[in-house]
Amino acid sequence: MSPESPLLELLQFPFMQRALIGGLLTGALGGVLGSFAVLRQLSFFSDALGHSALLGITLGILLGLNPTLVLIPFAVLFALGVNHLVQRSQLPADALLNIIYSSSLALAVVALSFVRTYRGSIHQLLFGDILGVSWLDLGLIFSLLVVAIGYLALTRRDQILLTLDGPLALSRGVDVRLHRLLFIVLLAVVVAISIKAVGVLLISAFVVIPACASRLVSRHFNAYVVLAAALGGLCAVLGLLLSGAFDLPSGPCVVIVQLLGFLMALALVPLRTALDRA
Amino acid sequence: MAEMVLDVSGLTVRRDALTAVENVGFSLESETDTALVGPNGAGKSTLVQALLGILPPSAGSIRVLGHRMGPQGQLPRSVREQVAYVPQSFSVRNRCPLAVADFVGLGWDPPGLRLPWAGGERRRQAVAHALRQTDCVNLADRLISDLSGGQTKRVLLAFCLVRPRRLLVLDEAQAGLDSQSAEQFYDLLFQLRRSEGWTILQVSHDLDMVRRTCDRVLCLNRSLRCSGPPDHALSPSQLEGVYGRGFVPYHHRHVH
Repeated sequence: MSPESPLLELLQFPFMQRALIGGLLTGALGGVLGSFAVLRQLSFFSDALGHSALLGITLGILLGLNPTLVLIPFAVLFALGVNHLVQRSQLPADALLNIIYSSSLALAVVALSFVRTYRGSIHQLLFGDILGVSWLDLGLIFSLLVVAIGYLALTRRDQILLTLDGPLALSRGVDVRLHRLLFIVLLAVVVAISIKAVGVLLISAFVVIPACASRLVSRHFNAYVVLAAALGGLCAVLGLLLSGAFDLPSGPCVVIVQLLGFLMALALVPLRTALDRA
Repeated sequence: MAEMVLDVSGLTVRRDALTAVENVGFSLESETDTALVGPNGAGKSTLVQALLGILPPSAGSIRVLGHRMGPQGQLPRSVREQVAYVPQSFSVRNRCPLAVADFVGLGWDPPGLRLPWAGGERRRQAVAHALRQTDCVNLADRLISDLSGGQTKRVLLAFCLVRPRRLLVLDEAQAGLDSQSAEQFYDLLFQLRRSEGWTILQVSHDLDMVRRTCDRVLCLNRSLRCSGPPDHALSPSQLEGVYGRGFVPYHHRHVH
């Protein structure tokens, strides 16, 4: 590739450098939390959180406040409310989450039609604008990654036990209720902060796809979490480079690379099984 | 006088607005094996979950090794560490990628905040010892989600065994096992009970096994209907009182 290559030229722009760092951090964060969320059957929950974020952003715009700052408390309160509802309701959780996310999306779109002065576009809200990520955003995402890794690593035993079996965890003195709530709050904050880069429609892919790909090929829990984070970060960087090279939308490019990673992991499963039997 | 490991008094537990366990009282002496029997829906699992601090009691008191359990199941950490539990169904959710050795190590790790690499060599040795004692060494690298029912129960015993415990609570440990696997499991449990000095409380529907291996039987049908040595508590008249008129116990035929 010559020094005049458009991609190399693009890499010299600060916005592209910030986008790559943002993609790496957001992808890794999604992978770390996703590895627990997938096993705890919270994939659909993260999807509902993502869709509801549009309502939070719209409320922020209508109130004339910074949408990102409104979104964090909105996402946390929404997540806690939905969690409470799912725990108490006799309806199946996926049906309840479907009602919540489709109605919050509908409410958000109707509310958006009343917005006259928003500088961004609906397209950016839906699919993210990773190229518009600021250094402040990067600082927030990095801090969140450190908090998430610190919390999950220091409570590793409790996290795995409650992922495996609630009553067994309770019998070993794990504060299951507290850890479930803290994890949901963490997931909500991650979704709220990553929305700007990833968009409301694609955020759940960041949480679910790298973790599922990692699960297919992992035999040890630590390796599973590390690989999910690495895949999340790598797919985001490759997706952004692909987007830059072919002038394609960035968020969808990342998700397409994640899908390719998942398909490769799927193809490796028979090899993994054969190695185990050998 | 033998030490009291568990002392339950006037225990009532409500579940979904219904009284599942009412005014139950009993105590377990050290190194005894007690069976909790009764028909389906009698409140056996509810009682066990209250004793482990999983369900809060509505009334009464539970003392474990002399320490009174708090209203939300709180026990001092040192006492909690002495109690182990083998659940009725341990379905490993969504094929969690956890190797057997790592799972058993979770039984060794104390609760609370802790660096993931803490324990190191002592943890590895304790896990290796527990796996040897339960004949699970060859399973160490297998995923727990790939184990058969019998293997899972043995690994759960290793999880309990990895630290010294005083009280072992088993909720229908034989559920899901064929008769040969159940027999092997109880042989292992019997050996470990002797070598480790465990006090055992086990929920069971296998009255033959209870008759053969337990020192004492508690018959529950919401409240405690009778208790005593197996010959007394499992007599036809007592069983009719617990299970209802016309109850005929099913007898296993074990091939040795």
